[in-house]
Amino acid sequence: MSEFHDDYPSYEHMAHHSEEEGKKARRTLWNVFWIMLAITVFELIIGSMAPSHGWSGTLWLKVLFIGLTIAKAAAIVMWFMHLGHEVKFFKYIVLVPYVLFMSYTIFIILDEGVYSSDQENRTKVDPILIKQQRDLKAGHGHHEQSGSEHHEKPTETSHH
Amino acid sequence: MSHSTEIDSKQAWDGGQSPFRISYGKMMMWFFLISDALTFGGLLVSYGFIRHKYADVWPKAENVFTHFPFVEQHLPLAYVGLMTFILIMSSVTMVLAVEAGHRNDKQKVILWMFWTIVGGATFVGSQAWEWYHFIVGTETGALRHVWSQELGTYVEQTVYGANMTVNEYGVPQFANYFFFITGFHGFHVFSGVVINFIIFLNVLKGTYEKRGHYEMVEKVGLYWHFVDLVWVFVFTFFYLL
Repeated sequence: MSEFHDDYPSYEHMAHHSEEEGKKARRTLWNVFWIMLAITVFELIIGSMAPSHGWSGTLWLKVLFIGLTIAKAAAIVMWFMHLGHEVKFFKYIVLVPYVLFMSYTIFIILDEGVYSSDQENRTKVDPILIKQQRDLKAGHGHHEQSGSEHHEKPTETSHH
Repeated sequence: MSHSTEIDSKQAWDGGQSPFRISYGKMMMWFFLISDALTFGGLLVSYGFIRHKYADVWPKAENVFTHFPFVEQHLPLAYVGLMTFILIMSSVTMVLAVEAGHRNDKQKVILWMFWTIVGGATFVGSQAWEWYHFIVGTETGALRHVWSQELGTYVEQTVYGANMTVNEYGVPQFANYFFFITGFHGFHVFSGVVINFIIFLNVLKGTYEKRGHYEMVEKVGLYWHFVDLVWVFVFTFFYLL
């Protein structure tokens, strides 16, 4: 910074690096990219295989997907956003409050989610939709969730 | 990369330098991103809560997002896979622009920032395309109870696509969360493209060359990577799980 002539170091200029270091940095970045691409392709393959193999909604699949997501997120933050290159103390300033707060929030929904799944305790859902979903799960009319089949008229609509 | 070297912790707090070894602007960008990340975190947690509550009538993404441009067949999740690829790719071009900035290589900064802007704009366009198909829906539609103003009651009616009140694919809550969270993210991408473009013009003009460093590119890069980061989570929670 040419305007200021105090004794403070210029962190903007400290970020500069040589041609050699740049080559190394680029190699790392491309490696991170290929790993992230591989993870995404893997996720999509598993995701498209899930329905026919009966994996949808299983716990291990959820854990796998969330784990891979966090791995990708860590790669972005550490290498693309260069948080890995910052001073240790700054790293913690960024990560610790966020991780603490999100863990707390996730704990709360996992805990309170018990009440939320209570069927009586939610806004009424269209009975046609419930029937369609039940038919879909039972297996008949797999690709016809679109309601072109005959529906019994529900005896009472639970809307109010 | 010699971004910052660790210094003695006693010395660090003696004044005359930042104990974080980081410039004010970059630090503030990080703090802004933490607050933005908390917003997205809150939105996604709330999404998880409602999804759990309506688990039995929640639509499956592979039944909803089946379209691919110029292709007649149903290709579940293929397009969103492509969108994710575009965004990750634009994140790489961004970080390459930052790297070129560290070497004061103006031409390379211009090149990589240009591709970042192209990638970002493509992503926003893809999202608009996906929204369009989600709103228009399938040809067959689905039977739902829809509120009739004249009769003052619910009547059975075939609905097509999704909006804030009816949803062909499942509960309306799915559409509400989809529009809100991907919309909020899409707006972030849009502003990212605009900010990137402004910085790009400054690079062309030689503003940063005169300044002697390309830290502005690095700061807008932080924001851009954050947008990618959020998408990684949106992708998992809306499309994969």
